[in-house]
Amino acid sequence: MERLSRRSFVKIAGAATGAAALAAAPPIARAAVEDSPRPTDPTTGVPEEPLVAYVRDADRGEVTVTAGTAERTYRDRALVQRLLRAAGRKEA
Amino acid sequence: MSSHREAPAISQDPVADNADTYAFVSPDDPSTVTIITNYVPLEGPPGGPNFFEFGDDVLYSIYIDNDGDALPDIEYQFRFRTTLQNPDTFLYNTGPIGSLSDPNWNKRQLYSVSVIRANGKATALGTDLACPPCNIGPRSTPNYDGLAAAAVHHLPSGETVFAGQRNDGFFVDLGAIFDLGDIREIQNLHLIPTPAGTSVDPLKSLNIHAIAIKVPISRLTRNGSVPSDPMSAASVLGIWGGASRRKVQVRDGYSTQESGPWVQVSRLGNPLFNEVIVPVGHKDRWNALDPVDDAGFEKYVNQPELAKLLPVLYPGAFPNLAAYSANRADLHAILLTGIPSGIVPGFQNFSGPKPADMLRLNVAIPPSASPNALGVVGGDLAGYPNGRRVFDDVVSIELKAVAGATIPLVDPSYTVDGAVGAVSSYLTPAADRYQSTFPYLGTPHDGYDTPSS
Repeated sequence: MERLSRRSFVKIAGAATGAAALAAAPPIARAAVEDSPRPTDPTTGVPEEPLVAYVRDADRGEVTVTAGTAERTYRDRALVQRLLRAAGRKEA
Repeated sequence: MSSHREAPAISQDPVADNADTYAFVSPDDPSTVTIITNYVPLEGPPGGPNFFEFGDDVLYSIYIDNDGDALPDIEYQFRFRTTLQNPDTFLYNTGPIGSLSDPNWNKRQLYSVSVIRANGKATALGTDLACPPCNIGPRSTPNYDGLAAAAVHHLPSGETVFAGQRNDGFFVDLGAIFDLGDIREIQNLHLIPTPAGTSVDPLKSLNIHAIAIKVPISRLTRNGSVPSDPMSAASVLGIWGGASRRKVQVRDGYSTQESGPWVQVSRLGNPLFNEVIVPVGHKDRWNALDPVDDAGFEKYVNQPELAKLLPVLYPGAFPNLAAYSANRADLHAILLTGIPSGIVPGFQNFSGPKPADMLRLNVAIPPSASPNALGVVGGDLAGYPNGRRVFDDVVSIELKAVAGATIPLVDPSYTVDGAVGAVSSYLTPAADRYQSTFPYLGTPHDGYDTPSS
């Protein structure tokens, strides 16, 4: 039998609810070389829960996005700069 | 206390605060194991009009490791949902509550139970299961035991569940023990002495919210067996409870929305582990981690702060403990690996060398016909630290162990200090604190008859 940790239990449970919206988001290892944001799939339905993006590390251009029980952290320096401007913060 | 308000962050989040975890072979149904995880510590019975309840935004989990690697092989999940029958009254109930469907009962909680096994797939075992109301008083809940009995649900899958208010079975002289480790009966020997007194149990008039599940042993063991050989590794289960919240909570006006993965905010295996062993600056981190991550906390078990404090707080009473500098292999075994065979005749609950805080229950040890609240220390192999029963005197057991009572199990050259015999909770809970059948914790105090705690 495959062994699972608590976190992987949770990960599997979350896959059914909100992971689809983030399926195309590049994980951080790949995103290190991808600075431009990926387009939003217009056919994706609006989730019942809010999609939340927060700047995890402005200097590194890292953004964490949560939707449903899924979470992805990736690098998008352009998005980080726009968010910083919107928040009235000094750009990184 | 066992784990009531034991860490800075969780002390501010009572509905997610795992205060006690119990696991034992059901005394009235020994083909099953009962696991109880308690939340909402220190409930004052008259706490209306919004009486205590579980968190609708909390994921409550019970974990079972059946092969000793400190990872869960089975997880039972509980989720709650609160409903209002009439939002236009301030009342919890608009008349006597005679049944779980009584229209007089305004604010109710329902819950779902699911199980995740090693294939990773969640299976719903029950939905919209009713909790009982809180015990309010003779006008509102005149037949409380009938309501509680109706809230015991027998699931088609074979498990039996209950979730709701109960009498808190844990007992300790809370006011004394956190007044610089005072034990009233021997406080004349304390560094700051006062005349000897009598221990007091402040929890005897408080309630708790319990999640209890009774599971056939064959559903829990690694090979689906019902072990009869206590020396078999397959007879040992590692068990702990945990509560998780979503990573992000957004408050927008009076509404709240959530997003992100579940993040653990509380856990509990052995009583008092996070409370007494883990330093305050690390308690929140410990709550967020899993037992498999506990290697970093071994040093606090090997050299526990409390063992160094006792000789200071009770000058001259613990000379042998004060001189003992070796790592506490006895506590390491009790709390982190289980007791290997060859230490206690006829018993083991060793789950392997991986250090992890879990209750370890040997399911091949039958329930005791004459239980001793001191458990294995008292010669009763069916009690703590072989799992934990609701009435086990874990305060006395762990205080005695930390004070050196169990060192000779691993170091025969050690002589136990005479004062260890005087280290005790000195408390004997009233019989109605517990009941002989599921969910084993007694009827909660009602607010009318227990107006002040």
